[in-house]
Amino acid sequence: MDSFTAIVIAIFLPFVFAGFLSPLERIFKDKIGWFAAAVALVSFLLIAYVAPDIIHGEIIEHTVSWVPSAGISFSIYADGLAIMIGFIASGIGVIIMSYSNGYMSHEEELTRYYQYLLLFMGSMIGMVFSANTIQLFVFWELTSITSFMLIGYWRHKPQSVYGATKSLLITAAGGLFMLAGFLLLRTITGSFDLTAIFHDPYMIETIKGHDLFLPILILLLIGAAAKSAQGPFYIWLPNAMEAPTPVSAFLHSATMVKAGIYLIARIHPIFSGTDAWFILVSGIGISTMLLAGFLALRQTDIKAILAYSTISQLAYMMTMYGYTTYHDPGIGVAAATFHLLNHATFKACLFLVAGIVVHEAATRDIRKLGGLWREMPITFVIASIAALAMAGIPPLNGFLSKEMFYETSIEMGSLLGSPFNILIPALAVLGGVFTFAYSIKLIDGIFLGKRCDEHLPEHIHDPSAIMLIPAAFLAGLVILFGLVPSIPIHYIVEPTTSGILLETVHLHVQLWHGFTPALMMTIVTFIAGILVYSRYDNIANWQNRFNSGYPWISVNYYYDHLVDNAKEHAHRFALFTQPGGIKTYVNAMLILMIVLMIIPLFTVTTTLIPSNLNFEIPLYEGLTMLIMIVAALTAALYHKYLLAVIALSGVGYMVSLIFIYLKAPDLALTQILVETLSTIIFLLVIVKIPQTFRERIPKTVLARDLCIATAVSLTILVLLLNATQGIVPPFESISHYFIEKTLPLAGGHNIVNVIIVDFRGYDTLGEISVLCLAALGVYNLIQSREERE
Amino acid sequence: MNSVLLSITISILFGIGTFLILRRDIIKVIIGLSILSHAVNLLIASTGIFDGDKVPIITGSHESAVASGTIFTDDVVNGVMSPVVSVMTGTHYVDPLVQALVLTAIVISLAITAFILILAYRIHEEYKTTDLNEMKRLRG
Repeated sequence: MDSFTAIVIAIFLPFVFAGFLSPLERIFKDKIGWFAAAVALVSFLLIAYVAPDIIHGEIIEHTVSWVPSAGISFSIYADGLAIMIGFIASGIGVIIMSYSNGYMSHEEELTRYYQYLLLFMGSMIGMVFSANTIQLFVFWELTSITSFMLIGYWRHKPQSVYGATKSLLITAAGGLFMLAGFLLLRTITGSFDLTAIFHDPYMIETIKGHDLFLPILILLLIGAAAKSAQGPFYIWLPNAMEAPTPVSAFLHSATMVKAGIYLIARIHPIFSGTDAWFILVSGIGISTMLLAGFLALRQTDIKAILAYSTISQLAYMMTMYGYTTYHDPGIGVAAATFHLLNHATFKACLFLVAGIVVHEAATRDIRKLGGLWREMPITFVIASIAALAMAGIPPLNGFLSKEMFYETSIEMGSLLGSPFNILIPALAVLGGVFTFAYSIKLIDGIFLGKRCDEHLPEHIHDPSAIMLIPAAFLAGLVILFGLVPSIPIHYIVEPTTSGILLETVHLHVQLWHGFTPALMMTIVTFIAGILVYSRYDNIANWQNRFNSGYPWISVNYYYDHLVDNAKEHAHRFALFTQPGGIKTYVNAMLILMIVLMIIPLFTVTTTLIPSNLNFEIPLYEGLTMLIMIVAALTAALYHKYLLAVIALSGVGYMVSLIFIYLKAPDLALTQILVETLSTIIFLLVIVKIPQTFRERIPKTVLARDLCIATAVSLTILVLLLNATQGIVPPFESISHYFIEKTLPLAGGHNIVNVIIVDFRGYDTLGEISVLCLAALGVYNLIQSREERE
Repeated sequence: MNSVLLSITISILFGIGTFLILRRDIIKVIIGLSILSHAVNLLIASTGIFDGDKVPIITGSHESAVASGTIFTDDVVNGVMSPVVSVMTGTHYVDPLVQALVLTAIVISLAITAFILILAYRIHEEYKTTDLNEMKRLRG
């Protein structure tokens, strides 16, 4: 099996088995979750099968044509970055799906749950291996949709529906911005393929110098920020916590929210090394990091604390990927990548612990929890390891990447000079202080302190091994990566960084690296963090007071207003454009038609009525026309349906006679057939509708309608006189082509027939479809009547 | 070049059709639509008599199938339809393309008429009225 096949199977296996899950449930019953976990494991192993080549610096590229006419292909681009996120998605997937067997009650609709999880995992893996931007967009939106399904998994809860809708609106809309960015990018590069850009340094220079550089960058960043809950888009993530806790651990901490960060890393080679990149990416990152870290202090729901901390941790990565200068485009890349990996381990672990706490204590409110360490010792140890890693305590992995964050902040600040050499490290430390404070709060609030007996069940104990082992495994990774950083650095971070920077990179990270400025910053962080923690409740209270005092200083306030009022606005708009009376529409159309005809008449022609008019006509034709007008008038004026319909059929037959005069035998034949058929249908319907209503036309209405009818009539007359008598067409008719080619190309003598069935065969196909649709419509209308009876 | 009288007839049909679709009785509206579609078909077909006045059916051999005016010669290999000016004299046909268009239009207007008639029938069954204003009042 070659690498390409392995990756394709890894992507599509979850999709295939998501489809087979329903029939398989009969075999596996409650064990269906283990089967899903096994599918995830196969994907993981397939990616692992490819990994050795990538670690040695190879890049796997392969393209299969998909929509060649639009330049869209199914392209795989497997570098270190793709492999890393692929590992995280499938690896955490295995852990989460195993854990869910303990978490999800057997009464739940398990098949639906695991289907969504598998679909999500496949989309995520597909996205990270995409080289074609359209393909990337498709998988990107698939992750948004599956996330929507999973947040709204408990359909009966209004908060779930609210959270799901919010996340879909924000992330999917962000995806559309990203698509717009990719389309603009294509106008520069002429290709949807990212590899074409990566392979061509000249192309990257062209993009950086192009006028569209900034618009494209902003559009792509909106997509990334919406997905990763950065900047003002952060609001969807706290509400997404309504999902089952394993889902939050999987999608909303470890994988899906990393998609935005992935996009930043993926386009890093193209856009970094510019001022705009630093200002936008690091700017969003730093502001989000501080804001979310600060807001986390106010939360009382443990999952909400974790959500805000996720936003803030993702902002670390944004900030670091944003560190760039012209000479050194990738200052923070290695640090950001390492932190991405570490965050996936400790944050997923914390979510799993939160799930255990919810499962055992039946509450998520940190005010009602406390003192659980006696009853849940193992959970306590696991939670402490993960939370301390997030706080940045040595020797855990969070300490290392936090140190790297400080180091790169100092480096970036000193490259920019005063006052940034102080400002950037100071802001970085402030972000770290908040992180420290809420991390400690998690341990203290849940496991230490006094037990709130009135809110908690009498007996609480550690959960079953099914739920403990996945969390313990992740905690083990946290320690392993901290004590022996060379393993993740060498096997994961180095290839990834090489992939992002498009050159081979070697990194050296040690647990103990001497008394560096970064270590000083860490110590300052700890001291300030303890100080902040001692004032924790005061800060939270202040925030609550501020929030109730100024409710309009909040993004949620505007989101709710926008969404709640959307229905009303839509209703008003609909009333304006669709008032309901058919006359309004008809009048609008007629006025538009008259305007559209008059404008070209006055611009193209010199005289309104051509001078050389032809009044010659054979007598029988004149008579035909006369009969036709009389019949039409009869149809219009006679009140009785039957007479009107007979007169109408008279018009139709006269039309077929005029077709003969116009040298159109095919039309005449068709017209006779169609007219007969439509008269029969008319009569069948008329028979069923007794004539009860008789319209009395008021004089004003009559005058108005006659005016409209006359105006239409005159417009058509002027148009026709010019079209058939006066104007020389500005370009030659394409009919000559058909006349000449009918015999040699199609071998037919009747030119009209050849056009219908051959040259314009697709038009005829469309016509047949219209007939079929009308027939289906008629059938359904009749059918609906019978059901009623 | 066809007669002005035909143009006048077509425009009168347009006027009558327009007047009818502005009525309140749904059957009258449908009759109006039918008349309008006749008028449109005639309008398009009547613009076809331009270069010649022969029925667009080739009766002779290959050689006689030569059109007048400018010929579009397409370059299939390069995928372009390029106009190449080469005036030829020969048989003068009525424009076959507009006839093909109208042929399609006639059939589609039959489908539309049938559908809308059944719709009117069903509306009458549900609401017992053919008055459009009354239907609007009963809606919802």
